[in-house]
Amino acid sequence: MQGLTINPGALPPQAEALRAEVRAFLAAEMPAIPELKRCRNWSGADPSFSRKLGERGWLGMTWPKAYGGHERSALERYVVLEEMLAAGAPVGAHWVAERQSGPQLMRFAPSTLAPKIVPRIARGEVFFCIGMSEPDSGSDLASIRTRATRSRKDGVGDGWVINGRKVWTSGAHRAHYMIALVRTGEKSENRHGGMSQFLVEMGTPGLTVRPIVNQLGEHDFNEVTFDDVWVPAENLIGAEGDGWAQVGAELAFERSGPERYLSSSQLLLEMLDAGDAGDARQAEAIGRVVASYGTLRQMSLGVASMLARGENPALAASLVKDQGALVEQAMPDIAHVLFGGQAVPGSTLDQAMRYTTLAVPSFSLRGGTREILRGIIAKGLDLR
Amino acid sequence: MSQDTLQDSLIEDSAAKLFSTTVDKERRLRAEAGEWDAALWAQVADSGFHLLLASESAGGFGQGWSAAYPLLRGLGYWQVPLPLAETMVAAQLAALAGFAVPDGPLTLIEQGQGNQLQVAGNDGLATLSGTAHAVPWARHAKAALVSLADGRLALLDLQGAPGVQVQPHANHAGLPSDTLVLQQARLLAVAPNPLALARPVWTLGALARSAMLVGALESALEQSVRYAGERVQFGKPLGKYQAIQQQLALMAGDVTAARTAALVAMADAPGGEQADCAATHFSTAVAKVRAGEAATRGTSIAHQVHGAIGFTHEHALHFATRRLWAWREEFGSDATWAVELGRAAIAARSAGFWAGVTAKAF
Repeated sequence: MQGLTINPGALPPQAEALRAEVRAFLAAEMPAIPELKRCRNWSGADPSFSRKLGERGWLGMTWPKAYGGHERSALERYVVLEEMLAAGAPVGAHWVAERQSGPQLMRFAPSTLAPKIVPRIARGEVFFCIGMSEPDSGSDLASIRTRATRSRKDGVGDGWVINGRKVWTSGAHRAHYMIALVRTGEKSENRHGGMSQFLVEMGTPGLTVRPIVNQLGEHDFNEVTFDDVWVPAENLIGAEGDGWAQVGAELAFERSGPERYLSSSQLLLEMLDAGDAGDARQAEAIGRVVASYGTLRQMSLGVASMLARGENPALAASLVKDQGALVEQAMPDIAHVLFGGQAVPGSTLDQAMRYTTLAVPSFSLRGGTREILRGIIAKGLDLR
Repeated sequence: MSQDTLQDSLIEDSAAKLFSTTVDKERRLRAEAGEWDAALWAQVADSGFHLLLASESAGGFGQGWSAAYPLLRGLGYWQVPLPLAETMVAAQLAALAGFAVPDGPLTLIEQGQGNQLQVAGNDGLATLSGTAHAVPWARHAKAALVSLADGRLALLDLQGAPGVQVQPHANHAGLPSDTLVLQQARLLAVAPNPLALARPVWTLGALARSAMLVGALESALEQSVRYAGERVQFGKPLGKYQAIQQQLALMAGDVTAARTAALVAMADAPGGEQADCAATHFSTAVAKVRAGEAATRGTSIAHQVHGAIGFTHEHALHFATRRLWAWREEFGSDATWAVELGRAAIAARSAGFWAGVTAKAF
């Protein structure tokens, strides 16, 4: 059960100095952002806010300077992330690009695609979406059918033509690029073979983005259709057939960050302001959330420290995401028990309860369902 | 390898060696029948484990709580039937207060927590009167380290001392959890609490229980995973069924969370090189809440996976699960500690909440 231990990570002293800078920035910026918008947490997108973070050097913090990064430590970046999320800052525009796409391009296309695009991610100017799920492929990602085939365009050069359909693509309508996982070969004995990742520019002819409105009435995710979408050969990320391994390499980053337990924070803050410290029932319920926050923060930091040391804590990351989603999803139910039917209509508590109640079902779906994560953990227990 | 980690792994190795080879079912059952395991205590005392946290000037080893973690966790993992945690805490506090650390097993009392105790007299001839419930291992303890509500620490003479009556009771694990009836019982010494930590016995007791809970959780989880791999129904091992996998994965997540919280709390506790208590209360509360919650869900899952065999006295599972039920309530249940955390968080309001979480103090 070795992989199930998460040793706490310690923040370096310079991280605390940085924290003060970030708090001062947020103290100036957040009053202009209403509570209801803060409820969206990292789903809330504001391109101008992302550019401000870029100007301050808070995007691509750990990346090499050659790619527009700032060569700071992973734990300093962690501090910026957790401060942004705890405040409900609208970081959604750049989130995926900064967390996954930039690192993928630097790692798998370091001399071709990365030099052109990654510096713009670090400036908060270029946003990404991720094309993974399809109508018939959710948790069973290896069953994707969107396909790229080699296609030479006269006068332009070698390339690929992509056909198929992606769904649940968050932010596709505001993204400049997609990294799409598609089939370039047949499934063989290796179920995970035959898949590759491509960089696709969102304006490319043949690419259609249609909104899928969620149960909150919001437009966050989309259906993206590929109808003979041609991309140049250099847009193949890394080697043909390496797609599954590339996706897997990023999962620990995707599943262990502070966004995996802080998503419902605005509702917690509203409860703290509406709460009565003398009420033991409220205090107990909120105290249990505080204990979970304290613990998950240390687990998430522990995984960040492992990543900083170059380890791949895939199992630990799954544990963080599964435990974190439980806390995030419990929040509206706790609010219901403590304040249900009592919040003043239209108050910020009322708004946060309504918003968060409808938002949380997605938290154990996005980024790997609860069942998939627990399957990974069960494998770590040698049960599978 | 640094000196610290060398030291830690030595403690871990020697605890594992001693406990895994000496503690068995018969010893646990004899302790539950009320027998004092003098031989096992002598082995532990020979290793000096009980003085690990006590300062070197008081004859101890001056180690911090992180170094003590493998030992405390081991008490749960191997279900060691001794008041070792209580003695470690009592010896640490006695040494800090400048008391001569009594030789032999010790116990702990926090005035005002599950008891009505009154102090009378001055420092030289102070006495303690009243009733204290759920005093762990009191019947076998030489003395109790008492944390007084006025902030002082005291040492209460126990074994055969005048004015001390012990009424034997047991916790869920069948281990001594006695009622003490005190009538002007003599305090051997009284001194100010040198730590900037309120209710030091209650808090450090909860800290020790958090690590012990993690050990017992690890035992229950390992037993459950092993059993799920062995027991065949409908033609395949239980562990091949997704329903079982999902349950055990949830338990593993809870155990990991409880372990991380306990490790952080150990690092934030006073001892060894560290005197800072700024984060001790918060981190201990977090650890005790999280370990208690993991115990509640984990005992349920472990028993469900084991089926009827885990419900028998013959099977070893109950040595772990009964300790989980006992320890989740001792030195403050998860509900009690959650109320404290919640009150502080509500008082901090939205403006002070996150700063409190990152500073580990509201």
